[in-house]
Amino acid sequence: MADDSDLLGHVEALLAIDEYRDHPLYPVLEQLYRHHQGQQKRLERLLSIADGYQQFSRDEMLETQQQYARQLQRERKLSRISDRYQELMRDNNRELHTASTHDPLTGLANRRMLADRLKLAGQRSRREGLAFSVAMLDVDHFKHINDRHGHEVGDRILVEMASLMGQTLRAGDLCGRWGGEEFLLLLNDCTLDQAQALVERLFSRLRQLRVTAGDTQVTVTVSAGIAQFRPTENEQDTVNRADRALLAAKRGGRDRYRLAE
Amino acid sequence: MHSDLNIAGTQSTPAIQSDWSAGRLAMQGDSYPENSYELFGQVIDWVDAYLADGPAPLRLDLTLVYLNTSSVKAMMDIFDLLEDAHERGQDVAVDWRYDPRNERIAELAEEFREDCSFPFVIAPTQAPT
Repeated sequence: MADDSDLLGHVEALLAIDEYRDHPLYPVLEQLYRHHQGQQKRLERLLSIADGYQQFSRDEMLETQQQYARQLQRERKLSRISDRYQELMRDNNRELHTASTHDPLTGLANRRMLADRLKLAGQRSRREGLAFSVAMLDVDHFKHINDRHGHEVGDRILVEMASLMGQTLRAGDLCGRWGGEEFLLLLNDCTLDQAQALVERLFSRLRQLRVTAGDTQVTVTVSAGIAQFRPTENEQDTVNRADRALLAAKRGGRDRYRLAE
Repeated sequence: MHSDLNIAGTQSTPAIQSDWSAGRLAMQGDSYPENSYELFGQVIDWVDAYLADGPAPLRLDLTLVYLNTSSVKAMMDIFDLLEDAHERGQDVAVDWRYDPRNERIAELAEEFREDCSFPFVIAPTQAPT
């Protein structure tokens, strides 16, 4: 282009000299010069239009990229918040499930859960021929303890007993709160003899339990009735037999267990 | 003036009230509607109209608890409208109340607030006395 402008400058200078005007090449050179100038302008226009288009499509592309990035960020935010709501719902469900199957005071299984698990144990026993037993436990003179030391002490005794029973039982067993001061033990893969040994061990540990009430140490004794499931009966019958054995233990002077008939 | 909303809440949809003359929109409750576009479409229309022609600042009072995905999206759309209006210099604000026994709702409200530069308060509801 530098050469080009030198050449054009030269031509322009020649065309400016008056004495060359009559030369036969003068009008041709002049015409060629004007034509070239016109072409040059057109070329510049063309370039500027093309540049404009290029700029436009580049802007458009950047805009699209930005929109895409914003959209992606939004989608991520939506999923993140939505996932957290779902998690919240799941945790709430889990808490509700625990609340509906557990006793709030002791954290033990409640009667509903015990009933479910008894049913499963019965089905399994019938199907696989495995023995299972239940033991019904009742705190002796619990009303008396409550009256004398207050309900708060009574509640603490139940909580301590629950934790002690949890430590004493085997992993596959279930201990639940059946009623006020009544506990039901569901002992899987367990014959009456084995259940008896387990209850004896539990009794000896429960006798060592001490709960502080003011300046005194409260101790408890319990009575129990034990029954082994019979495949010919339903699970509630087993519980009823254990309950009757418990009653016999109470009548026999408490702080003892009886085996069901 | 746009007609006001007064939608009773159900177990799965929030209660919604709007007050054009006071510049107030309120929503309370759980939101997992069967048709969220139908439900939130009218809310978004109302907000849009208010931001275009409303007489005063706009305030949203929210006591929302559980939101499903399409409700989360609708709320994000509404906050985007408020953000745009705020950038244009309009006076908008959100007041999100949560049950103090459920702090996790506050954390979720904070997630919503993240990209909002207008006033967005997250505070526990008054404990019942």
